[in-house]
Amino acid sequence: MTAATLPVRHARAKGWWGMAVFVATEATLFGTLVGTYIYLRFHNTHWPPARLPKPPVLTPSLLTAALVATSIPMFVASRAVGAGRREVAWRALTVAFAVQVFYLVWQLHDYVDAIHRYPPQESAWASVYVTLLGAAHAHVLVGVLLNAWFLVRIWSRLTRYRAVGVQATAFYWHAVNVITLVVLVVQLSPHL
Amino acid sequence: MAVAAPSRERARIEALERAWLERPGALGWLTTVDHKRIGLLYFWTTLVFFAAGGIEALLMRTQLAQSGERVIGPETYDQLMTMHGVTMIFFFIIPMTTGAFGNYLVPLMIGARDMAFPRLNALSYWLFLGAGIFMYSSFLVHQAPNAGWFDYVPLALRRYDGGANVDFYALGLIFNTVSSTIGALNLIVTIFKLRAPGMSWNRMPLFCFAMLAASLSLIFALPALTADCIFLELQRKLGFHFFDQAHGGDPLLWQHLFWIFGHPEVYIIVLPAFGIATSIIPTFARHRMVAFPLVAMAELLVAFIGFGVWAHHMFATGIATTTLVFFAAASMLVVIPSTIQIYAWLMTVNVGTPQFRAPLMFIGGFILFFVIGGLSGIMFAAIPFDQATTDTYFVVAHFHFIIFGAAVFPLLGGIYYWFPKVTGRMYDERLAQLSFWLTFVGTGLTFFPMHIVGLLGMTRRIYTYDHGLGWDAYNLVETIGGFVLAAGLLLIGINIVLSYRRGVPSGRDPFHGGTLEWTTTSPPPHYNFAVIPTVSSPYPNWDEADREEDLRKLARGELVLADGHETPETTVNDGAISAVAEMPPESPWPVLAAGTVTAAFFLLLTSHYATAGMAFALMLLTLVGWNLHEPEEGVG
Amino acid sequence: MTPRLRQAWILLGLGTLLAGCGGNQNTVAPASHPERSVADVFWVMLGVSCVGFGVIVTLLFLGWARRDRPSLPGGGGERAATRVVIGLGVALPIVLLVSLFIWSDLFVLRSVAAPTGRTPMTVRVTGHQWWWEVRYPGSGVVTANEIHIPVETKVTALVTTDDVIHSFWVPELNRKVDMIPGVTNRLLLLADKPGVFRGQCAEFCGLQHAHMSVEVIAEPRPMFDAWLARNAKPAPRTNALFTRNCSGCHQIRGTSAKADVGPDLTHFASRRSIAALTLPNTPANLRDWLRDPQHVKPGNRMPDLPLKQPQWVALQRYLESLR
Repeated sequence: MTAATLPVRHARAKGWWGMAVFVATEATLFGTLVGTYIYLRFHNTHWPPARLPKPPVLTPSLLTAALVATSIPMFVASRAVGAGRREVAWRALTVAFAVQVFYLVWQLHDYVDAIHRYPPQESAWASVYVTLLGAAHAHVLVGVLLNAWFLVRIWSRLTRYRAVGVQATAFYWHAVNVITLVVLVVQLSPHL
Repeated sequence: MAVAAPSRERARIEALERAWLERPGALGWLTTVDHKRIGLLYFWTTLVFFAAGGIEALLMRTQLAQSGERVIGPETYDQLMTMHGVTMIFFFIIPMTTGAFGNYLVPLMIGARDMAFPRLNALSYWLFLGAGIFMYSSFLVHQAPNAGWFDYVPLALRRYDGGANVDFYALGLIFNTVSSTIGALNLIVTIFKLRAPGMSWNRMPLFCFAMLAASLSLIFALPALTADCIFLELQRKLGFHFFDQAHGGDPLLWQHLFWIFGHPEVYIIVLPAFGIATSIIPTFARHRMVAFPLVAMAELLVAFIGFGVWAHHMFATGIATTTLVFFAAASMLVVIPSTIQIYAWLMTVNVGTPQFRAPLMFIGGFILFFVIGGLSGIMFAAIPFDQATTDTYFVVAHFHFIIFGAAVFPLLGGIYYWFPKVTGRMYDERLAQLSFWLTFVGTGLTFFPMHIVGLLGMTRRIYTYDHGLGWDAYNLVETIGGFVLAAGLLLIGINIVLSYRRGVPSGRDPFHGGTLEWTTTSPPPHYNFAVIPTVSSPYPNWDEADREEDLRKLARGELVLADGHETPETTVNDGAISAVAEMPPESPWPVLAAGTVTAAFFLLLTSHYATAGMAFALMLLTLVGWNLHEPEEGVG
Repeated sequence: MTPRLRQAWILLGLGTLLAGCGGNQNTVAPASHPERSVADVFWVMLGVSCVGFGVIVTLLFLGWARRDRPSLPGGGGERAATRVVIGLGVALPIVLLVSLFIWSDLFVLRSVAAPTGRTPMTVRVTGHQWWWEVRYPGSGVVTANEIHIPVETKVTALVTTDDVIHSFWVPELNRKVDMIPGVTNRLLLLADKPGVFRGQCAEFCGLQHAHMSVEVIAEPRPMFDAWLARNAKPAPRTNALFTRNCSGCHQIRGTSAKADVGPDLTHFASRRSIAALTLPNTPANLRDWLRDPQHVKPGNRMPDLPLKQPQWVALQRYLESLR
């Protein structure tokens, strides 16, 4: 029996499992950040501090909706590479990439504004707020870089290594989208 | 026909050797992705840190040998006691158990040819080395971390600790965390996906269950520490507010997050030791482990329940009674999986016909010390007693019996046990037994009196104490014990070095152990197994029929996988083959990536944020280079 | 002061002076009801632990002594062994642990809890790096590193800190309680008998954590009242040297020295120790302390002052007069 004739069962590649474990770590990290927000909330009478304006609602919500929607093209890309359909995968990745870059640029611009409006050096609430949002945007940036990398790599050729990479990246994006939703809820919680 | 078969086998083995060969010399070590070499790199590096931590301890014990000593002043003492804890926990025991023992043994025990992600494995080592160098460079500027290994705030804030000490601590730990996370990730995916055909969960060695439990705990516990250290650095460097109540923060936030990591950490420390014990006992008792499924579940359960007990480190902080009672109950619950294991080990020794050679003697010592440490631990679950004795030498005694007695003793036994497999030579048995007794007596002398002196009111982390409190004699005994212990450890080291040079060749299987590492040569070839073994029980080396079938498979060319750098992937539950993975060859990118990360952390330490960003960008470039080198597609 | 009281005071003074800086910190030599409960819990746990450890040692010994026989004593095999694992490893620990939990964490914990209501007396203790500020609300008494309480009287200690986390611990009287910024924790001080009870800071608080000890002096009610009355009085005289060199950190009530960086020194000479039990309060030790505090307690906040010999002598004489 050689490798070519081994009886094989269908199963996820080890690269996918590696991403799953990595997602578990990052999800736990965000759990800790959100937990910190909640913990400090119960140690303060005014959370956020009374003099601060509440965070905006509309822009973050619309942007997050757009980002979460990119799970669809990421899913399509993941399926396509599994079936060996390179062009379909590439196009789906491009769509996702465009929306994700748009999200990131807009959010980073708003983030700089937020730091001025809520200086972290003045209150614990602002410190946690800025840290939580910063962490979320950093994770989106990593996802954008991953997408960019695979756009370049599968433009020329689709190998098993790259296909597993795209599937792992899709998993990463689904996780980031869930995390972004949770962060949005925390961000808007002063309105609740 | 008889003549043709050996040359076909020879050809296959030579193909394997060619596919798995690595460069010779120093460059080979820098670019290695072989889990055995990486395991050895971890082993020697952690031994250096062990020696450093030991010297720190002996210096402290010398200062404390008598009341009113002025050998070491408070500033140096505070750095020594902090670095002793940080070194032993983060730079010795975790990398030794997961990085050295885990890396070397897990692929062998599950019948694989390497870890799931060989280059990532190398990266975890080089990051660990970088983090260790980063942390220890603090001594060069006499600003080693000095606020204790758990670094409570507000003491650790800039206002009370204005030098770079705490910045070394927080950044160094974040740095080390990345290495530990990657290492744990690799172990988990390896155990999930690379087990030999037929190795379903109930046939996996207990050592691997222990490694899996420790690795899963690392994944879920480390983020709390990372977040805590990030908060601390943001507050110290950029003036954020997390821990000061004047701006809405809370000093206890640090403690909660620290112990949410810190308690699972102690199970992470001790679980691999359980795994080593459950490897050595069946071998020397010549009997399979009694209640195997209970022991496997207990190892996972202790890690899981261990996530729910953290506030027992905070019983004296004034938290609500309901909280106290909940955490005390959970702390008592976590005892049960440990008592299950203790009795399973003892029953296996009794039901079998044990040979008390050095490895088993170390396990015997381990059991005794673990029970003492466990009993004092149970005492701490009685809240009023905890509130009386926490932060005294009573708790120092408790955790040293656990960390040294219960985590290090199995390591020492394991060093002897697997020494023949790694080197191909036997250690000297008489010297080994002598080294056991010296270490055993030394450990007892050093740590047992601490129970008494703690009850007599000696608080921890003091660089000196007054005459007339009744503490003097005990401290002197502890110091003497420390040197006896050091002598024992030195003797182990001498035995290893001498046996490496002059030991009797050990052969493949000197102890007739039950697990797969004993089926291959000593030391194993780069590719571990000429034929990927098929497994039908938890003790595959005792299944002679299966092993004879392996030889016939080599002749037939079945499961040899010599067409490239290959190992099979199997399904998570049943261990049925699902793919053949092409493994990457040696690579310079991991060490280069680690170099850029080390530079980045030094730049963060000195507040050069923009340049640090450039270093991180450089790291991304190394990752590009890394991923440009894809493992070649094999057949299928 | 009555002659009898004066005699008692002299006796106590002599006795404690001879003993040096006072008693022990022995957790299992309790001098109060709360600590006695803790000690009882300990002794019971120790007894059961010894039995448990004995079982383990016996099993290990049996394994060695019967190493040539592949069965349990009594002939059992793996099945019997598994039953032992479940019996001794699961069932018995559950019974013992539940019992311990109910006794110590439900009953004893409740009985030694800090009082929530009013007690006959309250004392406020604030931790500083590396000394204890002690105040008696309602009396105007401020002192440092020494807490006097009347015997057989429930005293609530309200503890907090001005800087980092410390921990207030007087082992023979009660458990420890942390002193956390922004929080006031409560602890019961109740001495069954008169005596000097030594305590020490039990949470690492920096360079001189090792030299942050405290004494709780329990005395008969009349003596305590006399002490309190005496300490409430302001100092009879001021001293220019002190005002010039020391008033930046220290307070002496009744003078213009009003800072609270360091301990209140109004009745410094009546205290038993210098620098939180670092040295007994004797003339020789006071001289050493004044001239080179950094040598005695390196890293503490008191600087070495550039005074001349006659100035040192005068300063010391003034401090010794603050009885």
